[in-house]
Amino acid sequence: MLIELLTDRYPGMRQWLTQRLSAVAMAIYTLVLVLLVAIQQPANYAEWHAFFSPWWWRLATLLCWICLTMHAWLGVRDVLKDYVFNVVVRSYMQLLVELALIVDLIWMVTILIKMN
Amino acid sequence: MIANKPIKKRPKNLNLLTIRLPINAVVSIMHRASGVMLFLMLPAVLWVLQQSLASEAQYLTIASGLQHWAFKLILIGLAWAFFHHFFAGIRHLAMDVHWMTSLQKARFSSRVVLGLVGVAVLVFAWCIW
Repeated sequence: MLIELLTDRYPGMRQWLTQRLSAVAMAIYTLVLVLLVAIQQPANYAEWHAFFSPWWWRLATLLCWICLTMHAWLGVRDVLKDYVFNVVVRSYMQLLVELALIVDLIWMVTILIKMN
Repeated sequence: MIANKPIKKRPKNLNLLTIRLPINAVVSIMHRASGVMLFLMLPAVLWVLQQSLASEAQYLTIASGLQHWAFKLILIGLAWAFFHHFFAGIRHLAMDVHWMTSLQKARFSSRVVLGLVGVAVLVFAWCIW
């Protein structure tokens, strides 16, 4: 039943589930972030840099940001669909949002790769 | 033959100043507003993260810049958007699995969300000030 809903016949269901799963993943990342900051309490540059440098933490941050990209893409799209009725205007706005999200993702990747 | 009846005009009331939104609607619309706000603030968040990790000098510049009261207010605004989106989002997930879906329970969970957001924002403000 659930698997049936995730086939090509119901593309909206996959997007609906993507929105929820990405939300759960980001919530878990945030809780871990708050917990780690509370435990380690990085108070200067060296400690802050050390906090972010483990490969697994950078990977987790990247995965969280990929979730954020999908979550924001679907979320802003839903908002635009509800309030912008002109299809042409909405398409351009959606394109701008998608470009911004791609730039944001590339930006995050460079931040995570460049720090050593 | 089609009877030429005058189309009955439905009463329309879209004046937002005269519509009193129920608490569930308030929590829901603020979930949207905070989501859009968070999306718009992503470049700022990325910029601060980039500067804070780039070098010690840039870290110190960012750290002292964020000490300014105006930036602290912006941070608190951002924190509000995050906490509201977070707690209201969890409430929506709970409703997705049919938990607390009756009107009475939904109203109760709306109040819980607003209360948690208020406490979280106050704790955050206390921590950074």
